[in-house]
Amino acid sequence: MKPFLTATGIVITFLFGSRHVKAQGGIEAATGAFKDDVHAAAGLTCNSCHSRSAQGGERYAAIPRTAIAPLCARCHSDAAYMRGFDPRVRVDQFAQYVTSTHGKRMTAGEVRVATCSDCHAAHGIKRAGDPRSPVAPVNVATTCGRCHGDATRMTPFGRDAAIPRDWSASVHAVALLKRGDTSAPTCNSCHGSHGAMPPGVENVANVCAQCHLREAELFRASPKKQIFDAIGQAECLACHSNHRIESPADTWIGLKEGAVCAQCHDETVGGVQTIRDVRQQLDRLSAAVAAADAVLTRAERAGMLVDEGRQALRDARDQRLQSRVLVHAFAIKPFAEMATQGVTAARRAQDTGDAAMRDAQVRRRGLAVATLLVLAFLVTLGLKIRRLPDVHRE
Amino acid sequence: MRGRLRPWLEERLPLADVIETLRHKTVPHHRYSVWYYFGGMTLFLFGIQVGTGALLLLYYRPSAAEAYESVQFIMTRVPFGWLIRSIHAWSANLMVACAFAHLFSVLFLHAYRRPRELTWVSGMILLLLTLAFGFTGYLLPWNEVSFFATRVGTDIAATVPAAGDFIVRFMRGGKDVTGATLTRLFGFHVAILPAVATILIGLHLLLIQRHGMSLPPSVEQRAAKDPGAIRTMPFLPHFLLRDLFAWTAVLALLAALSTFYPWELGTKANLFAPAPAGIRPEWYFLWGFQTLKYLPPTVAGINGEFLAVAAMGVGAAAALVLPFVAGHTPRSRRIIVWLGLFALSFMAAMTWLALTGSAP
Amino acid sequence: MASDVPRSSIAGSGAPERPARRSVLNWLLATWGGGILASVLYPVARYLAPPDIPEAATLSVSAGSARTLLANSGRVVPFGSQPAIVIRTPEGELRAFAATCTHLACTVQYRPDFQRIWCACHNGQYDLNGRNVAGPPPRPLEAYDVNVKDDEIVIARRS
Repeated sequence: MKPFLTATGIVITFLFGSRHVKAQGGIEAATGAFKDDVHAAAGLTCNSCHSRSAQGGERYAAIPRTAIAPLCARCHSDAAYMRGFDPRVRVDQFAQYVTSTHGKRMTAGEVRVATCSDCHAAHGIKRAGDPRSPVAPVNVATTCGRCHGDATRMTPFGRDAAIPRDWSASVHAVALLKRGDTSAPTCNSCHGSHGAMPPGVENVANVCAQCHLREAELFRASPKKQIFDAIGQAECLACHSNHRIESPADTWIGLKEGAVCAQCHDETVGGVQTIRDVRQQLDRLSAAVAAADAVLTRAERAGMLVDEGRQALRDARDQRLQSRVLVHAFAIKPFAEMATQGVTAARRAQDTGDAAMRDAQVRRRGLAVATLLVLAFLVTLGLKIRRLPDVHRE
Repeated sequence: MRGRLRPWLEERLPLADVIETLRHKTVPHHRYSVWYYFGGMTLFLFGIQVGTGALLLLYYRPSAAEAYESVQFIMTRVPFGWLIRSIHAWSANLMVACAFAHLFSVLFLHAYRRPRELTWVSGMILLLLTLAFGFTGYLLPWNEVSFFATRVGTDIAATVPAAGDFIVRFMRGGKDVTGATLTRLFGFHVAILPAVATILIGLHLLLIQRHGMSLPPSVEQRAAKDPGAIRTMPFLPHFLLRDLFAWTAVLALLAALSTFYPWELGTKANLFAPAPAGIRPEWYFLWGFQTLKYLPPTVAGINGEFLAVAAMGVGAAAALVLPFVAGHTPRSRRIIVWLGLFALSFMAAMTWLALTGSAP
Repeated sequence: MASDVPRSSIAGSGAPERPARRSVLNWLLATWGGGILASVLYPVARYLAPPDIPEAATLSVSAGSARTLLANSGRVVPFGSQPAIVIRTPEGELRAFAATCTHLACTVQYRPDFQRIWCACHNGQYDLNGRNVAGPPPRPLEAYDVNVKDDEIVIARRS
């Protein structure tokens, strides 16, 4: 953590202009951070990147921001050179960078955009796989957010600074940061890292489709695709948003105010019946699942074992998930089949729960009969014992 | 028909002798005689265990791969399997409680004194066997709770110097608790322990027949002054019917407990999972478990856990030889009573502390 | 305390009443006792008779007909409380795996067009040896043993 903070300190120092830095503190921080740097481990020194300063001596000149990327590219775009360190490492980072928004602006002289050292740090550089690296998957959003979440930095460019905050509230952020699922997308998953650009309206769906292939396949085969293409509407975005992607809810489907479909659809536009049917079947399925869960829980509390019912409920939940995926076909048929299967499974689970509750009642009734017999026996036996002759002996 | 059966049997079996002996058997009747029922109750519950245990054996499979599933099978698929299994589990707990009640009542009523020393010794060993039954049986469903409780319980044996490692390996069938442990403890639970217990119960009953019910010293003193003061009742039918009353009531209790509080199945044991929080043994071992928690790691250079285990061992050994070292004077009897009360309160307090989850 | 003589009626019947009352009591005892005995023996008798499904499907389970599982196709079957998938590779070999995706526990399926085991939830892919080769899944699928007996596929956990 310390080298990262040190590197951050250095980067911010650079952003405000190196002339205002207390040179002494800056160099100490830099040399300290460099001890834990992949370049140092590879045998590089200060001289490898810095030239001697005009003051001479041990002072090294700060590198102008516009010169940083070409400097790094001297090695990192040289395939023959990089092969000596890692034969499989990529060497197209600079080529990608100059196509990116950051790269284009930096080449034009705008120094307030990101360059290599802003994301990778300048002196304590770690591999991307190292969890301490600012470009490790769990840290990427924080790194990008340092500028893209800062309104003072974004307003001069006319950009929204709310995006990193939006992403942090998304299901992807929860998956990545809370569950540790590194397959969950962060900034660079959709925007690219070196060639960072927004995907653009036509391409958004391709980005989402990398993981959400099934939904993309269904959407592309559906009537919606042509319509969205015609009106220039981004596919997934229209309903799911791009950064603050939340768990979809069944209530999104409907014609009332607040439903997602209602953004475009009303009673007069086509698809009304399909929307109503889909929503109704989803509600029915959810109700069946909830009812089955309730009775199974009651049975378990009564001491009954309902593993089969739980399995059937798992199937029902699975089929509900698949039904929700099939919504993206925007047609009633494949969706309705799956939803019906789900309802059947949920009913099967419910039946198991009901049978277990009936069994519990049978057990209690059987116990009642046996207990009555025992009580009658005990009373009679008690009477008999009382009537036994008292026999003194000794 | 009935008139011919009896003479036929009497000609071949010593029925007449047995019935005659029983007819003359008497049981003293005094203010403490309610405690006489606990021994028979323990035996009754043991009988229940043998019966339900034999039934469970028809479906249970003692291997790590199948044990849990076989218990699940008994609880869900076998008709009344839930009842047999829950009765077995509840009856085990009741039996341990009864055995302790029987032990303490015999202690406080001084029934261990001459000539009943061997009855006491065999009874003490039977109590230890009962605890061993509980320990070995607890692992058999092979669920998470029992797996870790067995691991923790067998770990404690490692504190014994020199022999500790061997004892642990002997109990576990290896270094760790594995399927080998399950098979081994199963063998103990259904064959070795029952065989030894049967022999000891036979001896215990034989001795009770020989010596009859012991009279507490205070009652005995009153008898010495006034011979007609002791009231007795015949074993047949008075005492036996009262026994039957208690046994039937307990049977109904077991059925009710099994219906309203069925024994849990839990989740299958996973050898590679970390131990969940709050692992603890069955309630009758809790007092020892809690005591171990309160001891510091070392006391004057000696392992704290070992000290506790040693102390308990010394206590058990002392209890075993009690009849041979106890005095006959009222004063020494009072000391015994106080020692017994101390032991009982200590165990009760430790158990309560463990149940309320307090930790040092 | 048991009283010596039961309270007889004032008419002084005395001895003859006692046997009558005792035999009524005995009869009642026998009746209730018989009932209790029946309520013990009935569950035991039902318990002793083997249930319809004679044993738990723990170690192995049937996965349907071998003949109807064509090459380059798969079938999901229940195995205990979890799903299992049995596939026939394009070369004709039978393989079986746990069908719970190691990413977020969706049930996987066979995709003949990819010739891979595929998870619909996030496009995770496993090769025909169960190894996770594409998408989010972090671990391979657990492999099961497959045997065929009289056209019945039997899959079993590897011990």
